[in-house]
Amino acid sequence: MFTDAMRAIAHKELSDKLKSKWVIVIGAGFTLFTVIISYFGAAPAGIAGFRPLDATIASLTSLVTYFIPILALTLGGGVIADEKEKGTLELFLASPISVGEFLLGKFSGLVIALALSTAAGLGVAGVVLLFKAGLPAARSYLIFIANSIILGVIFLSLSFLTSVLLYERTRVIASTILLWLVFTILYDLGLVGLLIVTKGGIGTGVFSLLLMINPVDIYRILNFLSIGEFKVLIGLASVEFPAYMRTPLLWVIGLLWIVVPFAASYHFFKRRYLHA
Amino acid sequence: MVLELKDISKLYGEIKAVDSVSMEIEEGEILGLVGPNGSGKSTLLRIMIGIIRPTSGRVLVNGEELSEGGWKDFKRSVGYMPERVSFYDNLTGMETLQLFARVKGGGLDRIYGLLQRIISEEVLRRKVGGYSKGMRQRLNLAQALLNDPDILVLDEPTSGLDPVGTREFYEILEEVRERKRLTVVLSSHILGEIEDKMDRVAVMKNGALKAIGSMETLYRGLKIPLRISITLRERDEVLEGLLQREGAIDINYKNGYLLASVPWEKKLNVISAVMEEKERFDDLSIREPSLEEVFFGVH
Repeated sequence: MFTDAMRAIAHKELSDKLKSKWVIVIGAGFTLFTVIISYFGAAPAGIAGFRPLDATIASLTSLVTYFIPILALTLGGGVIADEKEKGTLELFLASPISVGEFLLGKFSGLVIALALSTAAGLGVAGVVLLFKAGLPAARSYLIFIANSIILGVIFLSLSFLTSVLLYERTRVIASTILLWLVFTILYDLGLVGLLIVTKGGIGTGVFSLLLMINPVDIYRILNFLSIGEFKVLIGLASVEFPAYMRTPLLWVIGLLWIVVPFAASYHFFKRRYLHA
Repeated sequence: MVLELKDISKLYGEIKAVDSVSMEIEEGEILGLVGPNGSGKSTLLRIMIGIIRPTSGRVLVNGEELSEGGWKDFKRSVGYMPERVSFYDNLTGMETLQLFARVKGGGLDRIYGLLQRIISEEVLRRKVGGYSKGMRQRLNLAQALLNDPDILVLDEPTSGLDPVGTREFYEILEEVRERKRLTVVLSSHILGEIEDKMDRVAVMKNGALKAIGSMETLYRGLKIPLRISITLRERDEVLEGLLQREGAIDINYKNGYLLASVPWEKKLNVISAVMEEKERFDDLSIREPSLEEVFFGVH
């Protein structure tokens, strides 16, 4: 299934990304902010120091929604454009591997790079928190890290699609920044605007469905479901979610957000390069 | 392995990059694909080895059209050297070859002896970012040979190389063919560089195949006249009359030289007649058309 050619492509991608100065800068910044927020998260209340794990997760959720998509978009944005610019894309296309093997090899390498960066960034604070909160808290924190990686992989899949659709690196970067803005800021602003315009008349069901369309909101809800009493901290205080909105369903939607853009990447890649 | 192209066309929007090209590439031959930039050579090479699919027409390998899986198998026996590839600056030459060996399912050990001839171990240990154009081309050739191919497809392989590099490149190619009589398809717009190295030449212009055959076939088919130049002490109207009688054309005297074009089918008559009058001139030179002249004759 995972051929040696795919492993070679994945390994090349992983090693490149882990050496990339942009990934190192973003990763280091993310780690630093994670530790600062973990320690000073309750500073507005006049308290400094590590707080209970749930409260820390609530604070870190906001950080992750900004940092991880940026990291993912940085990782995946130029992945095809770079190969095309170097001329190496033709070498892969002339090799005895399928388009699926090529794309899956690339994607796997990026997923591992993203997972390692995310785990490292959140792990430093996690280790300290675990010493304070004890082992029982480890499960919640590990789920939080897993959710964060899922969010990252969703954006990786989106950036992968962008890289396939657009030839030039500059256009890819511009588009990925726009995607980040839409999903992390503009979409929620639109929802707030909709609530204002309809004077709250759209109903919880429709509102919940609209939230489930946006991967960033899915991530927020996933974390909310594990730390319900701290929902006020992640801006969902007044929302009562329907009974069907449970972690497995949200993970399935998250999975669709990964699979659908990747499948579209495969389709458009074949159309653009093979049948161009 | 015989490769056949049947009525291949490739459209990019309104532009016809390749226009109804049919040809057969025989096993073990070395075929030169010549034409100016934009004549469709690279597109045709890409279609030939399945990098892109034609808009219409068929590619047959040993008489059979290939399925998706068939293309994958076929590519195991193909080595491809694209015209422009800069590789990864952060990898060494050796790491680059190891990567593509794994992707192609080949191994460096299979071509180790040849590899040392193409590119030195010292260079292979260096990062590709510090390579010259010539070193990158050598690395490009080495990666094309990684899977010990039966068919080698080279797109403008000497582009950007200096004359020494170009000569070395063809020496290496000759060595490769001495070890294994593989089929080579090579594109170039530097005609003089390849004319004595090819078994056959295919001439392309505006996406269409204008002529294909051995150099001799092309010369005969195109009936390009020879150029004859006679060095005289003074103008000689007898010789001019003789040339005219035997079928020479464009006869012209200039600065002590009597110049004329001789139609291909008249060359023996003209040369014999002129040699009978050899006491009338100091020197004689006959120039056969180069591939360049064939090429432009076709256009």
